[in-house]
Amino acid sequence: MFEAYHVGQGPARPLRRYIGSLAENSIKVVPRILATLIFFVAFEGVIFHTRLYPSILEPESTAGAMEMQLKNEIKRPKPDRNQVLAVGHSRMALLPRVANDMQPATGYRFASVGLGGSTARCWYYELRELDPTARRYAAIVIPTDDFNEPDTYENPNDRELDTRYLISRLKLSDLTEYPWSFDDYRFKWVAFGDILFKGYVYKRDFLEFLSATKARIANVRLYNKYSTQWFYAYEGPDHSVAGLEIDWQHNVAHYPASFTPQQRKVIEDVLFQARPPDAGQLTRYLHHWYGRILDHYRGSGTKLIFLRVPRAPTPPPEQPPKLNSAIRQVAREPDVIVLDEHLFDPLERTDLFADPMHLTAEGMNRFSRILATEVRRVLGPPKS
Amino acid sequence: MLFNTPQFFVFLGVVLIAFYSSPRSWRRIILLAASYFFYMSWIPKFILLLLALTVIDYTAARWIARTESPRSRKTALIVSLSANLGLLGFFKYYNFFAANIAHLLGRPESSFALSIILPLGISFHTFQSMSYVIDVYRREQKPIVNPVDYALFISFFPQLVAGPIVRAREFFGDLYHWQAPNSTEVLRGLLLVILGLAKKMVMADQFAQVANNYFKDVAGHPGLLTAWSGVVAFGIQIYFDFSGYTDMAIGMALLLGFHFPVNFHRPYLASSITDFWHRWHMSLSRWLRDYLYIPLGGNRHGRLTTYRNLMLTMLLGGLWHGASWNFVVWGGYHGGLLSIERMLGLKRAPEENRWTLFYPVRAILTFVLVMIGWVFFRAINFHDSIYVLHQMFTGHIGAMFLMRWQTDLALFTLLLAVLEEKKAWFERIAIGPAWAYGAVCALLLLSVELLGYTEASLPFVYFQF
Repeated sequence: MFEAYHVGQGPARPLRRYIGSLAENSIKVVPRILATLIFFVAFEGVIFHTRLYPSILEPESTAGAMEMQLKNEIKRPKPDRNQVLAVGHSRMALLPRVANDMQPATGYRFASVGLGGSTARCWYYELRELDPTARRYAAIVIPTDDFNEPDTYENPNDRELDTRYLISRLKLSDLTEYPWSFDDYRFKWVAFGDILFKGYVYKRDFLEFLSATKARIANVRLYNKYSTQWFYAYEGPDHSVAGLEIDWQHNVAHYPASFTPQQRKVIEDVLFQARPPDAGQLTRYLHHWYGRILDHYRGSGTKLIFLRVPRAPTPPPEQPPKLNSAIRQVAREPDVIVLDEHLFDPLERTDLFADPMHLTAEGMNRFSRILATEVRRVLGPPKS
Repeated sequence: MLFNTPQFFVFLGVVLIAFYSSPRSWRRIILLAASYFFYMSWIPKFILLLLALTVIDYTAARWIARTESPRSRKTALIVSLSANLGLLGFFKYYNFFAANIAHLLGRPESSFALSIILPLGISFHTFQSMSYVIDVYRREQKPIVNPVDYALFISFFPQLVAGPIVRAREFFGDLYHWQAPNSTEVLRGLLLVILGLAKKMVMADQFAQVANNYFKDVAGHPGLLTAWSGVVAFGIQIYFDFSGYTDMAIGMALLLGFHFPVNFHRPYLASSITDFWHRWHMSLSRWLRDYLYIPLGGNRHGRLTTYRNLMLTMLLGGLWHGASWNFVVWGGYHGGLLSIERMLGLKRAPEENRWTLFYPVRAILTFVLVMIGWVFFRAINFHDSIYVLHQMFTGHIGAMFLMRWQTDLALFTLLLAVLEEKKAWFERIAIGPAWAYGAVCALLLLSVELLGYTEASLPFVYFQF
């Protein structure tokens, strides 16, 4: 045993001296390793785990756009609780400006933090940030694409992009939940690392920042000043897919001559996309995240209003209802209001769709008016 | 298993724990097993090649030491050298010579080509092995009795694939008189591992993107500034890549109680090409000097013979880097420059004159000459090399191929290198106060996190040699 620390053929040293040298080494080595860790955590913490770096994120990047949306909504004055907030992706067609024009009639003030590409998981974390006490809004409007929630080939649990959206708002305390919401262990591990080492996620943004520091700062200032205005003044697309005919039975589209090959491809990719047999994956995913949103607002008095967005430029064939879909399950919960599934069916017209998924300016206008009226109807008069 | 992957750090952690927690008699076995595991993580079957060379050279050295007959000694030496050079020649140069012969015969270049994969680190471990057998032959080294010790010398994982090329007496001196590393060595070792990782991922891999983009289609990127920035990007890449690897190798060896020779000494601050070769890949320069240049006669037989020897050494040194005429030209270019410097009496700038007014001029000129050499080293073929050189000196102005932050980073590292050359601050960090050590290591780690290229694990440039 006395020779245990020797690799070669030299003379053995007594264990006491070995332990002595080990102790002496430790006295010098351990504080330096600790200092390294402390400095690293301090640098990482101060720069990336505070609002310091998120304040200079590229506003048009995924993380930057989310951060700007949240910042603007947090800043927006909310004199009372008669506020209705819409979350959602790019198909959430609410134009708050239009809905707010009806405020004298509805009594509610509408806002939106809809962001293209965001998902139900993102919406939960957004709401947690925007309304930590669950007391700011009268209602939260949440879109869903289809009450039957058919699966796609993408596993929504393993959507790494969600981390890019949420990175500036994920906290160390989220380590216990967020990474585990991924199915694949590789993604769990990556998400865990991303929350711990946020600088790694910001890497590309940081390099772009270094490449054009002045331009970035100027752009951030511009967005800080005008982005709310731009967002609320948005009118929607002015072109439509009028003339498009869809044969849902044979999955064939007939196009007017003016449609480009690219437009035709997008339409076919979206409307006739192949789907796997429904295994309830999307339903489980939505059930989990709707449930988290529900838990956040449970007992707060805030209503959760779910709606089905207009599905396609022409009404797709109705499918038999999936009775155990997440939306139909949460509909039974208190404070949850599921708007009529067919409420927006009148908007499923080619002249009101700009592409296979999104409404035109006119479509968005009509959507906003219908929604504002319906919200007023289900919520009743605002509280004074 | 690359040094810049998480898997490698797990492997290193396991090796360190196993090494320090096991009894003395197991430690060499543990290191050998770890080294073979490391080697086999690439292409397992090549372990047979490594084992074969180990057995041949071990036996040859024992044979040389056992017999007094000059003829037998020479025979054993020739057997050993033939085995090493034969395998190196086959794996590394067969297709090169086959293509040239096919070309001479007017046949397609692939006529005699074979599908050969170059075994990992073959250029390094064969040179290390040959140096041992030659040293035994010269009676400068006693033969190693324990085959495990010898096998470990050839396969020691920190330097197995890309050096530094360690001399037998250095390695066995450490092995047979092993001392647990003291605190300074541990701290220096850790610092070097982190520094090496930062050099590789922050500098080398980021600049590799620029160099690769430029050199894959040089004709598509004409212009003087474009060519210079592409070439300088490669110059930065290869230095930080290789010296980063070496720093990690030296650092890991230190953590295990072994001392590797320094391999780089801020070569881009060299004041002459002679000085450059005293600072660049020093263990190879030393090998070429001791086993090629001096046996050829060195500078002992007059000027012309000295120039010839310099030229031959550098040509072969160039060819060692790869089987291509471009490497031969690169070696010849440096051999020519070394000969010219010798002819003009321009040797290394003496230390005391290093910081004179003329030093920056000489250093810049040397840097430019080295960059010109890298064109041959990196370009896909000779035609591309000539095109790039043409652009570097006669092209229209073009556009910078480097991004702003890359230029700033390169200038910042140049500043650090100059300060280091003058004050050796970094060298003193390991014995400095804990806060300074912690701040430097943390900044290096932060730079890896923020600036490190992580889209893919890029292999080290010298792995292909």
